[in-house]
Amino acid sequence: MSASDDGSKAQAGDGPAVQTTGLTKRFGERKAIDSVDLQVPRGSAFGFLGPNGAGKTTMIRMLLGLTKASAGSMSVLGRPVPSQRSAALARVGAIVEEPRFHPQLSGRENLRIVAAVRGPETYERIAPALRRVGLSERADERVKKYSLGMRQRLGVARCLLADPLLLILDEPTNGLDPGGIQEFREMIRAMVEQEGRTVFISSHLLDEVEKICDHAAIVDRGKVLMQGAIADLAAGGTRHELIVGVDDPLRALDVLQGSSSVRQAQRSDEGLRVTLSERAEASHTDSAAAVNAALVEAGLAVSRLEPVRQSLEKRFLEVTSRLSDSTVEEVGA
Amino acid sequence: MNATIAAQMTGADILKLRKKRGILTWSLVLALGPVVIYFVAAVIEHASDPGKYGPAGGLQNFSDGLRVITLLFGPLAALLVGVEAGSGDHSAGVFRDLVVTGRSRLALFAARVPAALAVTFAMMIGAYALLLIGTFAFAAGLPTPGGALILNGLGFTLLGTGMLCVVAVGFASLTTSKPAAIIALIAWQIVASPVLANIKGLGSSREGLLSQAIAHFSPVHLGEGGHGASVVLSGGTAFVVLVAWLALFLALGAWRTSTMDA
Repeated sequence: MSASDDGSKAQAGDGPAVQTTGLTKRFGERKAIDSVDLQVPRGSAFGFLGPNGAGKTTMIRMLLGLTKASAGSMSVLGRPVPSQRSAALARVGAIVEEPRFHPQLSGRENLRIVAAVRGPETYERIAPALRRVGLSERADERVKKYSLGMRQRLGVARCLLADPLLLILDEPTNGLDPGGIQEFREMIRAMVEQEGRTVFISSHLLDEVEKICDHAAIVDRGKVLMQGAIADLAAGGTRHELIVGVDDPLRALDVLQGSSSVRQAQRSDEGLRVTLSERAEASHTDSAAAVNAALVEAGLAVSRLEPVRQSLEKRFLEVTSRLSDSTVEEVGA
Repeated sequence: MNATIAAQMTGADILKLRKKRGILTWSLVLALGPVVIYFVAAVIEHASDPGKYGPAGGLQNFSDGLRVITLLFGPLAALLVGVEAGSGDHSAGVFRDLVVTGRSRLALFAARVPAALAVTFAMMIGAYALLLIGTFAFAAGLPTPGGALILNGLGFTLLGTGMLCVVAVGFASLTTSKPAAIIALIAWQIVASPVLANIKGLGSSREGLLSQAIAHFSPVHLGEGGHGASVVLSGGTAFVVLVAWLALFLALGAWRTSTMDA
């Protein structure tokens, strides 16, 4: 089962996996989604990251035609929605909120229900999908006996019936134990890297998005605040910084403050915290080497030279706490 | 959507209904139970006092039994099945999962109707078979229905229960609430409809009652009052009333299914 089968190509339109322009959803006077421009690159794991109540599920519901948009336009797999909704969703698998099933039916029978709706070719995907999520042996038990984690896995199996080019998963690790979460991450990465599928994951869990996704958008109060590659989002507008370990910190400060590669240097608990100059940021690796060379030439022993890793969590908290700016940033997209 | 997919979707809806054991059990009890009870009671009465009570079978008991399964208890079984078919996806929370397949919502609604009819008809054919068995087994020399009457009786049973079943599918799809739909439809069928049919002051407006239009097509005399034929209406009028009820509730159910937030 691969997203690169001939059939998938036949139904795939051009363009990003998901694209929205000015998408808005109002509930009365309140805007749950406020003029969102979103672009999800194909073949990526895309995190839709935001606190509870940010509008993540509403966004997904609009993309899937579960509720109508109040304004704006959107396309899924290159096809406009809702005008070509059926064609767009034919190769989309989705779990919205918690996965729900007919409790009186077995896992396999629940998949048969969806296969019947999707089309005759879907039946042959039931067994592989159950195997893929590790439910083959319990597929004939009634779903009412399943744990939440098993239902999540059955939900993923239901998505796989579409042989999806795009999976849309709403808070997919809810109810999974640590082992299940790890398996889930590996499965998503395999879908993206080995099968070329696009996975859109909404989550309020920063750590989860950072570990699974390579692109993300940060959303809050219905607005997309930032979007782009995870690394670029995490770095954001902050300066590139280095932690430098050296045998004589005071003399090293004198040396670095005279360097054109350094904008600022100061002592910290970890050693010296060096902020590179704007000119140096353009060639980060070279400037780190220049810092090292300057220190060594001054006869100092350098024991550590480490770029400061910016966390997505820090960036998330920065942007969601400055909502009044309401500026949408495009970072290295 | 081609015929294969339509057949598969109907099969899937039948599977959901078949595995809903509570609803299925109660529907079977309502469809078959009264026939069994009717004949058991009639046999006991006849055995206890043959001079006062005639044999349990024969034409008259066939007519009474037909009224029981087509106008009294059969419709209740049909309502339960129809409501489950109309609201089952919503109450289980899987309607949205069917919508995200991209399949048209009208197709999802349309599949419920033949599925509900198939299950209802299977039960009612069973009930009708029991009625025939009792009619002939306990006739004891009394006249029995001929082939034409037997076929007409079966058609009448399927018409009466099928109509109620389809109305229930549409109404439950409209409300999306199983308890509300069951209570409202049973109250209508058991209480409101017979009462309205017997209020002569309502005049010809009573011709619009579904139960009266169904009763018009009975192959046997049902008697007046209660759940029988209280209003005399022409065949054309009865047909129009049936079509109007079907069109109204199918349209309401389809509209709601197509437009609601899933």
